[in-house]
Amino acid sequence: MDIRIAPQMSVMDKLKILGAAAKYDVSCSSSGSFRRNDGQGIGNTVAAGLCHSFAADGRCVSLLKILFTNECIYDCRYCMNRCSNDVPRASFTPDEVCELTMEFYRRNYIEGLFLSSGILYSPNYTMELICETIHRLRTVHRFQGYIHVKAIPGADPLLIQRAGYLADRMSVNLEMATAEGLRAIAPNKHRKTILKPMRQIQNGITENKNELTLYRHAPHFCEAGQSTQMVIGALPESDYQIMSVAENLYDKFSLKRVYYSAFVNVNEDRDLPALAGGPPLLREHRLYQADWLLRFYGFKVDELLTEKRPNFNTAIDPKADWAVRHLEQFPVEINRADYHMLLRIPGVGVKSAGRILAARRFGNLTFEDLKKIGVVLKRALYFITCNGKMMYPTKLEENYIVQNLVYQNQMGRGERLPFLADGTAYRQMSLFDGEEWSGNLRAVGE
Amino acid sequence: MEEKYFICEDSLEGIFTGIYEAYALREGHEHVHIQIGEEDNLRLFAVYLHIFPDAVKTDKVVRTLKQRLGEHVYHTLCRAAASCYPDKGEAVYRTVVDAITAGSGRRVLGNFKNPYVARCFELARFTANEAHFETEFIRFQELMAGVSGEKAVLFSKIGPKNNVVPFVMPHFADRLSIENFMIYDEHRKLFGVHPAREEWYLVSAGEEFDLQKLEFSEKEEGYQELFRAFHRTIGIKSRENKHLQRQMCAYRYQDYMVEFQQK
Repeated sequence: MDIRIAPQMSVMDKLKILGAAAKYDVSCSSSGSFRRNDGQGIGNTVAAGLCHSFAADGRCVSLLKILFTNECIYDCRYCMNRCSNDVPRASFTPDEVCELTMEFYRRNYIEGLFLSSGILYSPNYTMELICETIHRLRTVHRFQGYIHVKAIPGADPLLIQRAGYLADRMSVNLEMATAEGLRAIAPNKHRKTILKPMRQIQNGITENKNELTLYRHAPHFCEAGQSTQMVIGALPESDYQIMSVAENLYDKFSLKRVYYSAFVNVNEDRDLPALAGGPPLLREHRLYQADWLLRFYGFKVDELLTEKRPNFNTAIDPKADWAVRHLEQFPVEINRADYHMLLRIPGVGVKSAGRILAARRFGNLTFEDLKKIGVVLKRALYFITCNGKMMYPTKLEENYIVQNLVYQNQMGRGERLPFLADGTAYRQMSLFDGEEWSGNLRAVGE
Repeated sequence: MEEKYFICEDSLEGIFTGIYEAYALREGHEHVHIQIGEEDNLRLFAVYLHIFPDAVKTDKVVRTLKQRLGEHVYHTLCRAAASCYPDKGEAVYRTVVDAITAGSGRRVLGNFKNPYVARCFELARFTANEAHFETEFIRFQELMAGVSGEKAVLFSKIGPKNNVVPFVMPHFADRLSIENFMIYDEHRKLFGVHPAREEWYLVSAGEEFDLQKLEFSEKEEGYQELFRAFHRTIGIKSRENKHLQRQMCAYRYQDYMVEFQQK
């Protein structure tokens, strides 16, 4: 079987078509694996990952993110490359992908390769092409940089295993948070076929870890773990549903990352929502913030959202939102609180919490010290005390704090004295003004 | 007691030699200060001493710092010493005093109470951040291959605020170990040079060095064009956010990056 390639298409044209076709895949991180160069080829990987450029939409360009081909036998409604769309089609050859990767990498344009693909003929055929490409890259070109490949749902487990030993990270896109949603929107994909390779990769990684403890030089299997992606806002799923799925994926499938992608109606499909205000970027942002709370701050989804309150407040961030609803735990004394409580204070992150612990050994901390440490006082000041004192006389009251936080967000940056300190001062008008303010607060975003 | 100002050269060696001399004086540290570069506004009742960098003394200081404070603190001090701010000498010196003489030892960097330690931390963070950005944003260009048939040299020009070349080189020396490459800091006229499969080193650019004379390989322009095209296509139109782009990658880096040069 030959690969169908439009005649006389230059690498430039292909790169334009297949780069554009891959851009809706969010994952672009190059983190999670650490490997030094062995002196035989070029490349290494850095545990924290590196972003090499930033595109016009502000997202990072870390990997050469391309599709192998945008020819596809599937007809997923949200996808630009669905078979019913009349778009120019192109396919790379393995050699072209290798050459592009190597030359871009040498010039420090990219951190590695992200290879995905439309389904050409069959999942197995496509997966084989992907394997062939990265195998050539690793063995012929001795490339030791980062490689992220898609596991094509429905492909033979042996092919996925083979890819896993060549790549740093693999991913299978979940696409929709619910199985019904997926059925409605992507008739050729099934939840089961997506979860199967995910489980296989998870088991592969666990087995590989055991192997590596026994044999230090055993080959690595997906050293940087696996990730997935969900489309946000194409169907009426709630944030609670999405976050619960994400939590499950982290707990049960040991994923490294779950990506959320604000839905862009590229096909103007009549069954999908036309989003007048552009893609739901703020919602996506809140989901990412909550995702970080799950992974680094020890929060659980049930603390942040409930059945009755299934969406995030778009006006303030999820952590501040949690804090104002749990004022019984505040204010926190900076000089005494343990690490886990410090992490729950809005305005204190993982780094500043660590620095607070280190600095406390030298004496009591003051607000001045906290500022140097990097605590965002304009958010934290409502929730903390230093040596028993608050920074300014503030009220420990839900409405009051939310108003101040929202006002700050509207005004942009800069630390600011809380107005209304005396209860009578100037009051900023806002959309949320009114008697039933606290009731509204709960309803925001619902 | 009169104040003593040690005027040191603007380099790691300069600062460490200054610290050595300050300890060698054995007069306590209250009235001793380290100043970088020139004495600007002379003070009354102060003595100014010029310190010349000395390799042996620097080595002794380096050894002591590594032994007593550990690699982490030592590297932080080095980063602070590579900063572009003139108060770095005093900050590094006072931090060393806090660690070794006042006895906070390896934990010294946690001592945010001491304004000099806090400053040292701040300076080191700035240098580390900038070095991190440069490892990401450096763009190599392939020079014309020589007649001897050796592998072509990759050349990169940067204009950082701090002296980051020494911190960037190890990363690329590992990554591109089989390549010949060099990184040129145009503000300091400093080269980091890495011959393939060998150790890297730093060289000062001579007067006669002229960037205009560099010739690039024939393929170079083609790959730059490809990457520019890729960079344009990868952005999603409906999400466009130039502000965010600038926030993540400041204009001062963009000036040196091929994808932001319109052609």
